[in-house]
Amino acid sequence: MKCTFKNKRISSIITVAPSQEFRFDDEYPYFKMTEAQAKRFKKMMSLDRHRIAPPDVCASDLCLFGVQQLLKAGVLKKEEISAILFISQTPDYILPPTSNVIHGKLGLGHDVICLDINQGCAGFVVGLQQAFMLLEIPAVSKVLLLTGDTGSKQMTRQNRLNYPINGDAGAATVVERCSDERTIFMDVKNDGSRHKALLIQGGGYRMPSSVETLKLREVEEGVVKCLEHVDMDGAAIFNFTMDDIPPQIEEVLAFSGDTRESIQHFFLHQPNPFIVTQMAQKMKIPQAKVPNNVVSLYGNCSSTTIPLNITLNCSEPMRTETRRVCLSGFGVGLTWASAVMDLGPLDYCKLVDYESK
Amino acid sequence: MDKPEFYQRLAEILDVEEVKPDNVLKDFDVWDSLAILSVLAMADAKYGVSVKAEEIRSVVTAEDLARLVEAKRK
Repeated sequence: MKCTFKNKRISSIITVAPSQEFRFDDEYPYFKMTEAQAKRFKKMMSLDRHRIAPPDVCASDLCLFGVQQLLKAGVLKKEEISAILFISQTPDYILPPTSNVIHGKLGLGHDVICLDINQGCAGFVVGLQQAFMLLEIPAVSKVLLLTGDTGSKQMTRQNRLNYPINGDAGAATVVERCSDERTIFMDVKNDGSRHKALLIQGGGYRMPSSVETLKLREVEEGVVKCLEHVDMDGAAIFNFTMDDIPPQIEEVLAFSGDTRESIQHFFLHQPNPFIVTQMAQKMKIPQAKVPNNVVSLYGNCSSTTIPLNITLNCSEPMRTETRRVCLSGFGVGLTWASAVMDLGPLDYCKLVDYESK
Repeated sequence: MDKPEFYQRLAEILDVEEVKPDNVLKDFDVWDSLAILSVLAMADAKYGVSVKAEEIRSVVTAEDLARLVEAKRK
């Protein structure tokens, strides 16, 4: 569904990565790969290293740390926060909402909207849409869009399909009103008939957690998992990204009156570098406009790959310049969401490592 | 469709010198999920067709695979 917004902007972005880093060259024996297999896999997926949160660090900790840095830097005041959107698949608890937990830790007043949204790789753009909609409420001043996931907790390390490309990270993005009337263009689509392409079967209420759902099995060579771990139909996801995302991006470009040339950066979600390269080729977009180093350096961190991409690759120019950008997230649901907008100058745009207290 | 060229591209994916039409895909050492992903990408990038993984898993020989891609182009 297409929509537009006016007089709204992203004012700050901070991305927070856990400091614990692992290198593929050291890890491949966990995946039961021979040296030759590892070499082939590394080359095809351009793997190098990734960030993994320690057991006691949750997605909300990464996001909260980001918010604290924004407060410390003076680009955000506690009393300006009117809403907290927490976009994640790795909440602290089944209940209460993690946005409420964060609200409490920040010590905010009662006139604040708290919402958790269960979303993955499309989550940043879906969250932006919700943030813009909340800003239609006159009493709402600034929306904190928190995206974060610790996907490593939804798989074993002995999983060659998911673990090597996974990364844990969180981000805090401030969304607010502005006098700028330039239009923001967006399209969000869903197809629930393909919801099994990315799925955690057990541990919810369709299949409650039990001894059975926790039993680890080697389901194929180098893939050890239980029913409470993520199941990904990699080929179906590849088909999805190649069949559904390029047409949506082209639709949004036509909607906004933009072209491949007028867009300066395509900040696409990065499932792995192989898919992003294929997508850019298919859309005939020069690779230089499609930064594609998030998974090689940090891992696929779900809804946070887009803010991580921006803060990793464009932190300096985004603080002083306005860039015409296309954002596109796609994944679990299946959900795919793309936007064309002006981004920057931002009050704050930084990628930092998480420091525990 | 240029079949010899298709077999050459398949040979590159399978990391062998040559692929013959009657070669059984499962007999190749590297016929795994990465190889299947590479075939999907090759079909899309070089032949403009969207092949599904289950379709690839249902074919037996290299020639079956070539026929699958060719049929989709029409």
